[in-house]
Amino acid sequence: MSDYTLGIKELDSVIGGIKKGSNIMLIGPPMCGKEIILYSIMYYGASKNENAVITVSTRESATHILEWFKEQKLILPLARVGIVDCVTKTLGGASVENENIKIASSPVDLTGIGVKISQFFEEYFMKKNIRKTQLHINSLSTILMYSNIQTVFRFLHVFTGRIKAAGSLGIYVLESGMHDEQAISTLKQLFDGMIEIKSENDKNFIRAVGLSPKPTPWFEYEIEGADVKIVGRK
Amino acid sequence: MIETGIPKLDEFLGGGIPKGKSLVYYIQPGVEGEIFGLQTIYNSLKKGGMGVFVVSSTIPDIIKGQFREFGWDINQFKDKFFFVDAYNSLIGAPSNEKYVVMNPDSIEAFSKIIMNALKELPPSTIVFGSLSTIIDLCGEKETINAVRAWNKTAKLYDHVLVYNFTAWPYSEETLKAIKDDMFNAVISVGGIAERVIFGQYFGIFKADWTKEIKKSMLFRVLRPGGIRLYIPKILVTGPFDSGKSTFVHALSTRAISVDRLGTTIALDHGHIDYKGFSADIFGTPGQERFDPIIKLLSGESMGVFLIVDSTNPTDFIRAKQMLEITKSYGLPYVIIANKQDLSGALAPEEIRNQFNLPPDIPIVPVVAKDKKGIFEAFEVLIDKITGGL
Repeated sequence: MSDYTLGIKELDSVIGGIKKGSNIMLIGPPMCGKEIILYSIMYYGASKNENAVITVSTRESATHILEWFKEQKLILPLARVGIVDCVTKTLGGASVENENIKIASSPVDLTGIGVKISQFFEEYFMKKNIRKTQLHINSLSTILMYSNIQTVFRFLHVFTGRIKAAGSLGIYVLESGMHDEQAISTLKQLFDGMIEIKSENDKNFIRAVGLSPKPTPWFEYEIEGADVKIVGRK
Repeated sequence: MIETGIPKLDEFLGGGIPKGKSLVYYIQPGVEGEIFGLQTIYNSLKKGGMGVFVVSSTIPDIIKGQFREFGWDINQFKDKFFFVDAYNSLIGAPSNEKYVVMNPDSIEAFSKIIMNALKELPPSTIVFGSLSTIIDLCGEKETINAVRAWNKTAKLYDHVLVYNFTAWPYSEETLKAIKDDMFNAVISVGGIAERVIFGQYFGIFKADWTKEIKKSMLFRVLRPGGIRLYIPKILVTGPFDSGKSTFVHALSTRAISVDRLGTTIALDHGHIDYKGFSADIFGTPGQERFDPIIKLLSGESMGVFLIVDSTNPTDFIRAKQMLEITKSYGLPYVIIANKQDLSGALAPEEIRNQFNLPPDIPIVPVVAKDKKGIFEAFEVLIDKITGGL
């Protein structure tokens, strides 16, 4: 078993596993539950697939994320979960690093964020001997608010390359409707595929593009607590 | 002359950085290199100098916090240490610092403040926390021109300018200018990577005031403590009787083996100092019953020599198996085709075919007992480890 799965059964079975070294954009409108989808991929990756999962968070503090899992009664295998928190220091909160949490100074500090990601990679790969690692960046939209597109492109160019070299999986969240088309198509060059989300008439749909020979059908989904449930197919 | 306080670096630089000179720490993304600027300014303050730190990717308070993390009390230098705050106005926050850049995304605004500071202050050490952020905000060409002007002015006023620069994939032109002609000295700070970065080193790329010393040192960052050097470990493994102990002894300035009846049963240990690079060498036993020792010894290694007896292809299966044991740790490796002086020795390319090795894995022909080819092999491995400085 050398491929990655998302943990959304219907979607996984159509895709048939995501190749090692893939970089994927998770793109959707605000308020459609992208964050929960990402958390569920994170939980599934770490708990069920026994991968290491590194999350760069520019929206929620690391403590918040870990608390959310606790509230949902989901037990994360903490030895394989790392969060790069880019929020706490900016808000002036108390910031203590530990095995799971590394603190970057701000979302502008891409150099610092890069160092923290590399440190987690080294720890999982070399010290803990975990071969499969997922890197989740939530979200590129926030990073793009602080830095211009060329800067973010250079940063991603380096890290998507590292994901490929290490045979890992990278997932990068982007808010649709927040950036111009040109910015999105610039970034698209760096990705192997896309998980796309849309909302229509109060219903939410998800599909994968570029991960199977042709795009998967749109699946209608609902979120219940921490569960992403597929309820229909378009 | 100001000292950087970074172990060995001052020695490599002939004592430190002379007044009026500029130096850039050229940092590979993902490597913990920003500490170099911090340690440099802290050390020059400690020696009684004046210091200015230019912040552009975070608020000054966070930088103060970083100094504290390293155990460096900068409050004692109150009247001798200033910030240029080029961040707060970016996020619309007020600033209490002596120098504030109101529009950090305009190079003119930036330059005005820097030039003022350069002209007003007595000879100081001025550290730019992140040159790459300035480039990101103000543009590549614009920033390069401004930096050239700052360096020129600094020379007139006897300041020392130090820049942290993260080498993101900027245009070839920009990277070349930074490496080749904008600064008096370039210190390369890089990572040792196979599939992930697992070690960090620095070395002098150029320094125009001293004889160039092509040396690189591995370092770790301690909190508190700062930059600490360490001696890397290199593993020598291979089947029984392939010549591992001979190789370790030939390469080392001093070496010792734990042997019984002429074969190694525990380990060989040696130390090498060659062309400015020093390393500890660990040789493993070759017999299968000692395999657990290989695993034990390969932890924390930086690279592997796999020794094969070129006249004995039947042992290649065992060699491959031993390689698998060490490669499971993802280390860079070089194959040593030993005993090339004996008749029937296979040439490196024949060994490559038998091993089914990809073309980028180096195979070096060697006669370990005559010390032939061993230092070439060492250089090849060091190049692989450092990615060619």
